Amino acid sequence: MRAVIETRKLSKWYGNVLGLSDVTLEIEPGISGLLGPNGAGKSTFLKLLTGQIKPSLGSVTILGEKVKNNFAIFSKIGFCPEHDSFYEEITGWEFLTQLLSLHGFAASEVKIKAEKALEIVDLSQDKDRLVRAYSRGMRQRLKFAQAIAHDPEILVLDEPLAGLDPLGKRKVIRLIKEFKSQGRTIVVSSHVLPEIEALTKTIILIHQGKIFATGDIHYIRDLIESHPHLVSVKCAEPRRLASMFLTEDYIRNINFGPDPRTLVVETKNRDKFFSLLLSLIV
Amino acid sequence: MKSVTKQSWRHFLGSLVRVCSFAFFLGRKSKRTKFFLLFSFLPAAVALIIRFHQVFSEEKRALDGSYAFSNIIMLFYLQFIILILALFFGTSVCSEEVEGKTLPYLITRPIPKSAVVMGKYVAYTAIPVVTMALGLLLSFAVLNVDRLLSIPMYKIYFQYLGVLTLGLIAYSAFFTFLGSFLKRSIFVGLLFSFGWENVIQYFPGSTQRFAIVHYLKSFLPSSPSGRFSFLTFRLEPTRPEIALLALGLITAVFLGFACLVFSLKEYNLED
Repeated sequence: MRAVIETRKLSKWYGNVLGLSDVTLEIEPGISGLLGPNGAGKSTFLKLLTGQIKPSLGSVTILGEKVKNNFAIFSKIGFCPEHDSFYEEITGWEFLTQLLSLHGFAASEVKIKAEKALEIVDLSQDKDRLVRAYSRGMRQRLKFAQAIAHDPEILVLDEPLAGLDPLGKRKVIRLIKEFKSQGRTIVVSSHVLPEIEALTKTIILIHQGKIFATGDIHYIRDLIESHPHLVSVKCAEPRRLASMFLTEDYIRNINFGPDPRTLVVETKNRDKFFSLLLSLIV
Repeated sequence: MKSVTKQSWRHFLGSLVRVCSFAFFLGRKSKRTKFFLLFSFLPAAVALIIRFHQVFSEEKRALDGSYAFSNIIMLFYLQFIILILALFFGTSVCSEEVEGKTLPYLITRPIPKSAVVMGKYVAYTAIPVVTMALGLLLSFAVLNVDRLLSIPMYKIYFQYLGVLTLGLIAYSAFFTFLGSFLKRSIFVGLLFSFGWENVIQYFPGSTQRFAIVHYLKSFLPSSPSGRFSFLTFRLEPTRPEIALLALGLITAVFLGFACLVFSLKEYNLED
């Protein structure tokens, strides 16, 4: 399959701070999940993809076209920002139609596209309410609607599930999957593995501005499991707890923290360790 | 080559119009516009007080309506109202998108960044021009209520409206530039408006020409003598055609810089 998004040696510095380092990637149609902790460089990467910031080094091409200084490419990209920010003094309908009009569609086309997008995200009933009166879930769906309304080929979603309740998450996940079923390309970021797992099997693991691994979810899972985990436990009797851990072969190291109530355990099997900890607590 | 340039200009103008209509729509709905509509009616309250004084004063030399309009109300607009309007609307062309974190919605559309600045600038200049024109008309009508049917008298109104509109255009361009690269643009803008502009215009020689208000005052007819004539005092006015050129140049230069800064700067939307 031909790559839709390509990055070559993509790097970004903010002064002396490294945002992203030497990222060479090819993203194919379907959902690609960008996974990493806060501050890993996910948003920087997505901003570079969508031309909001310029790379310090390297390049981004989308559908074979350079992104840098190429504003025409934005008719093919839909971007859903991370921040919960809107023009609050207008209605959902106005928000959508006004943003659509920036693409240069005729008024009748704007109306049709806005109605379709609102229907997809289940906001048709609430379109005439002010955005500031929307719930968090509705706002997230409205953000999604503005990203898909102009019918883009590529969708870039920055933490689209953040702050949503389980029902809201399910709705957004369904919307993203529906978009994927139309053969489009979606890049979605999150710092929560189960969220990404619910969306896709193709994962890009990012940490400290570097791509650690890319590939299938099982490969990433194995990779995570193959690395030892450090778990800090705070309890009343850390030495007693440590003695219980010592018999387990998946415990590699135990340290006592500076705080007399803290125990730092290094394990090579996170799941088994947490099961044991849970059984001890119960 | 020529047709490519023509096409990109057409695209730029199309984008500018679209952003302008978008920003005008948002501006019309915003609380800020409603507040500043009331604000630009402040001089009308002053006009009302003067009018009451005219009607009820036993003093024979009560202020004439058109004299009060040219020397008191006009000054209020020229040296206070348009500065405040241009400051709050001009600086928000760029900064409201950054502070409100709505910038990604605009810069991920198929429109050049310079069209975003220019389009918003046009809309955010048109809105204060309309609010100022309404306030000015009301003040004018209050002061000349007994001569409202005299059409030639409106020449004064349109003459002053033109000067204030030029002022809003030039000041807004300057404040748009400030808002594009400064975080505390309002504070710097206030210093400029009520420090620099108020002081420099009274410096003799060529120094006075570094104030925008100097060129605006150059369009005004020489102030009629009277106890309030000192308010519209000006040193050595520039010829109107030169003043117009200077204001055009100031507007173009600062708008050009604002577009450049907005296109090159990477705004930080983090908390």
